[in-house]
Amino acid sequence: MTDIISTAPRIRQGHNSREVLMRYAFFLLVLVVFVTFAILRPTFVTPGNIHGMLMSASIAGLMFLGLTWLIAAGEIDVSFMSVAALSNMVVAGLVVDGAGWGVAVLGGLGAGVVFGLLNATLVAVLRLPALVITIATGALAASVAAAIGQGTSIALSHTGFVGDLLGLRVGVLPLIAVIVGALYAASWFVQERLVFGHYIYAMEQNRAAVVEAGVPVNRMLFLLFVLSGVVSSFAGVLLAANLSSGQPYLGTSYFLDGLTAVLLGGMALKLGKPNVIGTLTATIFLIGLLNGAALLGWTDSERQIVRGSLLLIGVGLVVFARTRRKA
Amino acid sequence: MITRQLGMRLLAFAALVALIGLAFWSQSAAFASGGNLRSLMRHMSVQGLAALGLTFVIVVRHFDLSFPGVASMGAMTLGWLIAAGMPLPVAIGGGLAVGLAFGLVNGFAIARLGLPDIVTTIATGGLAIGFSYFYSNGTSISQNFFMSGILDLNDRKILGLDMPFAILMGTALMGAILLHASRLGAGFYATGENPVSARFSGVPTRLLIVLAFALSGMMACLAITLLVASSGAANVTAGNQLLMPAFAAVYLGAALFGRPSIGATLAGTLLMSMMLNGFTLLAIPYYYSDAIVSTVLITAIAIFDPRVSALLRGAVRRKGASA
Amino acid sequence: MAEGTRTVLDMRGIEKRFGDVKALDNVGFDLIAGEIHALLGVNGAGKSTLIKILSGVYTKDEGRITIGGKVFDLGSPRAAIEAGIAVVQQHPELVGDLSGAENIFLGHESSRRGLFSRIDRSDLATRANALLARFPIDVDLSRRVADMPAVDREIVAILHALRLENARILILDEPTSTLTEREKASLFSMMRMLKAAGIAIIYITHRLEEVYEIADRFTVFRGGRNVACHTVTEARTTGMSIPNLMLGTGGGLTFPPRCSRINGDAVLEVSGLSCDGMFRDVTFTARKGEILGIFGLVGSGVDELSKALFGVFRPDRGEMRLHGRPVSLRSPAQALRSGIFLVPGDRRTEGLTLNENVIFNTTVANLGRASFGGLLRFGANRRNARALAEKVDLQPMRLDRSLRGFSGGNQQKVVIAKGLYRQAKVYIFVEPTVGVDIGARSKIYALMREISQDAAVIVISSDCDEVHGVADRTLALYKGAPVGGADRDMSRDHLLHAGIMGGIAA
Repeated sequence: MTDIISTAPRIRQGHNSREVLMRYAFFLLVLVVFVTFAILRPTFVTPGNIHGMLMSASIAGLMFLGLTWLIAAGEIDVSFMSVAALSNMVVAGLVVDGAGWGVAVLGGLGAGVVFGLLNATLVAVLRLPALVITIATGALAASVAAAIGQGTSIALSHTGFVGDLLGLRVGVLPLIAVIVGALYAASWFVQERLVFGHYIYAMEQNRAAVVEAGVPVNRMLFLLFVLSGVVSSFAGVLLAANLSSGQPYLGTSYFLDGLTAVLLGGMALKLGKPNVIGTLTATIFLIGLLNGAALLGWTDSERQIVRGSLLLIGVGLVVFARTRRKA
Repeated sequence: MITRQLGMRLLAFAALVALIGLAFWSQSAAFASGGNLRSLMRHMSVQGLAALGLTFVIVVRHFDLSFPGVASMGAMTLGWLIAAGMPLPVAIGGGLAVGLAFGLVNGFAIARLGLPDIVTTIATGGLAIGFSYFYSNGTSISQNFFMSGILDLNDRKILGLDMPFAILMGTALMGAILLHASRLGAGFYATGENPVSARFSGVPTRLLIVLAFALSGMMACLAITLLVASSGAANVTAGNQLLMPAFAAVYLGAALFGRPSIGATLAGTLLMSMMLNGFTLLAIPYYYSDAIVSTVLITAIAIFDPRVSALLRGAVRRKGASA
Repeated sequence: MAEGTRTVLDMRGIEKRFGDVKALDNVGFDLIAGEIHALLGVNGAGKSTLIKILSGVYTKDEGRITIGGKVFDLGSPRAAIEAGIAVVQQHPELVGDLSGAENIFLGHESSRRGLFSRIDRSDLATRANALLARFPIDVDLSRRVADMPAVDREIVAILHALRLENARILILDEPTSTLTEREKASLFSMMRMLKAAGIAIIYITHRLEEVYEIADRFTVFRGGRNVACHTVTEARTTGMSIPNLMLGTGGGLTFPPRCSRINGDAVLEVSGLSCDGMFRDVTFTARKGEILGIFGLVGSGVDELSKALFGVFRPDRGEMRLHGRPVSLRSPAQALRSGIFLVPGDRRTEGLTLNENVIFNTTVANLGRASFGGLLRFGANRRNARALAEKVDLQPMRLDRSLRGFSGGNQQKVVIAKGLYRQAKVYIFVEPTVGVDIGARSKIYALMREISQDAAVIVISSDCDEVHGVADRTLALYKGAPVGGADRDMSRDHLLHAGIMGGIAA
């Protein structure tokens, strides 16, 4: 008989050099862009600026983690940024009402859990269409967030232990960046080495096959939606301290960035499939790009256009890579 | 058989309207006043136009998330043209042209290039918002508005109806003819149900998808024109309030009547507007309105989704069997 | 059967009702270790209900199922799997980006349970090798499934079903429908190997010649009952007619009489038509008044040819003439405007809007005719749909029912009704009777003959008997190249040989 399996079954990691190039081209692009900024505006690489960018990237990266896997699994969540805004406002509201930061943080995370569970129940259990449902739950979260501040933001006089946490550094790195980095490393392990990650990608390709194989697909989706709610609310809590305020409308700016990071990041390593390392890289790229562009004096309008264009480019590349691979 | 089913659905819809109407009327007698009914119809006009455009996209089984952004850009274009002293028809035409252009781009990217609809329209919507800042760097525009006559769009009456409502009804009538009585309409539904079979039957599916997105963009811009006319100023966030109510109206209507259609969307819009109007009348703050709309939307989808209703029926039957 | 055989499955007195309808009525069925047992019957005869009971999708209302001497209830798919029943669906679900081995053990990548256990890739390889040691088949399980040929995917699906040690009954539901003749041969050799390994196989097929080729016994279902169970040897020696058993009252497949008058007007002339990588140098003339048959196995290029004739693919070389005038088709819409209608091979995805009713489907086929000034003519469209449905003998005659509610044969009749509404000059039928029961088949052949009175009809099929039986002139496509001129009336054996071997036997 033929003994064909003895070589590892995963032999199809990019063999031809073009595929390798495509896998790593994105990292190269990031490098080129950042070096260009550094040359044009030396302030781009001052420790203060790098610290600020890493801080923003950490918080945004946290928010986009759940979204990455949801899109990889062929689902969508457009409520993540509103959930972050809600948590942010819950924290601010509770702190202003005299609750301690501990209680406030729990409240903020609780809001994320509640919305995660709501999405998970509606989409994963009742099998309702994810896009329309998360548009609706997102609007609900945004509306509650606005209601907490009665339509305006809430300023915080002190940022409690969360503020202290954000202030901590490991060498030049903010501690929070190290924590988020570690979280992403752990997620990479889950995605690449555990059956959970294996099923996420299988699910996107052929859900029926995965269901037939006895994989509890609905439970996985449930977990993914809860995860998305929880990480988004974590980001919202951190933002309360980072901004020293509760901002009911902070979600809008993260919406495009989240999708862009996930889809553009999908080009890295996995040729169009969203993955955590790609998302993290793309998040850093976006934050750096917007920051650098601001240093170069670009207007909000121009930066918004850059965001939209990048998202379009990301989608285009994903579709291009997939059709190429199928052919 | 079919007509009986339709009758049942109409009855359910009438019951809902009566129920909501009575509930608000019992809280505030002003709900049924002529003035309030007129403001309800005005409210319906803006939301309804955006929802009607979206209906076409939903019928061909796609999503358009760009129309709020596109509408904002349409509003700013309209405002800028008026401020520049252009005649009103040119200004309105300019605004609608923005909607048409973005609709064509969306349609081309999705039908021709095969890009995924959700993310593509989010991106083009984002681009449109970016462009809408160009005109005035983000500040609202209201120069020349009084002189231009755009306010008449809001204030004039036609056949005893307020202008905005008349525009909605006229558009809905044209939309209904297009979607339900024309050959293109049959093509829209065929494309949505099974694009391959539609193409093999000679239906120009790609063209119809492009047309659906174009209609969505244009109608969103028409809706925003009425909004600009009633508020007397164009601003960059004008379109933000369109997304949720439009989706809610289309899905609520489709849930009530079994599939998306012009009538279903109007019915959905009426229900949404009744609620929003009623809550405004009861002085409930604006930031609750999205919460109400979204809750209604979730409930409607959940209740009318065949899987969920099957689940519920199953639960009831099991309960009945065990009893 | 021979003495000392071991019964692995014994079903007795099985009943299943859906509402008032008895789908299975006191049915018995048995299976012996190491046999290939064909399950035959027209659509709705009850064979799929029986399979669904065996695989735990439906639960039986009455009766007893004994597997390996033990009584089983088979209340769920899981229970069926635990009882040793392995099912391969007609279109097995596989994940294209995963390797064969990963597909086989999908859901069992780790020795531990739970979503957060580690994938043990070396263990996966060991298990795949062990499976190949049990069932020695020449297949590369490390390849991406999307890159595999159809038969290898089928083999992966079978190995997936048999991955558990206790599997002893394998159910194959029409596995050959997408395979080429050569691939079919390798599938059959795999089935013989499984048989030798003691696996009992229930084999569902619509193709009777396969029964003689591979099966040991066959059971015929009709109207929810088991009407016959014989060995294939018995059937051969007694010369019994399986179609008769399937249909009941006499009448097997009847083809309408051939046309009397050859050489009607040439409608479609094709010369040297080529599509790189699909087919090449196809030349034929389709005439009014007759049926042209093109026989070709799946993968021979026939499906692509039909789509090139319909404007889906642009040919690279060659010429098409309609009524003597050259045409260059860019789209199906243009083909339809030129008067070419395709009855596609996959009617569910290519031919019909299943969620809509009969009127909608016929209307959409010719929106120009169905409308006036751009507006639909509702009354006329209903009348037309009724006339068309009567013409094709739609059963039941329910114009307002969504097409999902019709059988395969009647769905095909609706596709033909669409074609009639188009009033085309050339009708191309691709695999016109796949998944169509014998009763509807005869009607469809008769309709084709009728259509050929006013138009050129081309039948493209991988069923040699069908092409030979219904067409007046035939040619075969072998690996993309035509064999035998269309002006010859080849014998069945010649045609078969041409399509399978690429040459005409002396």
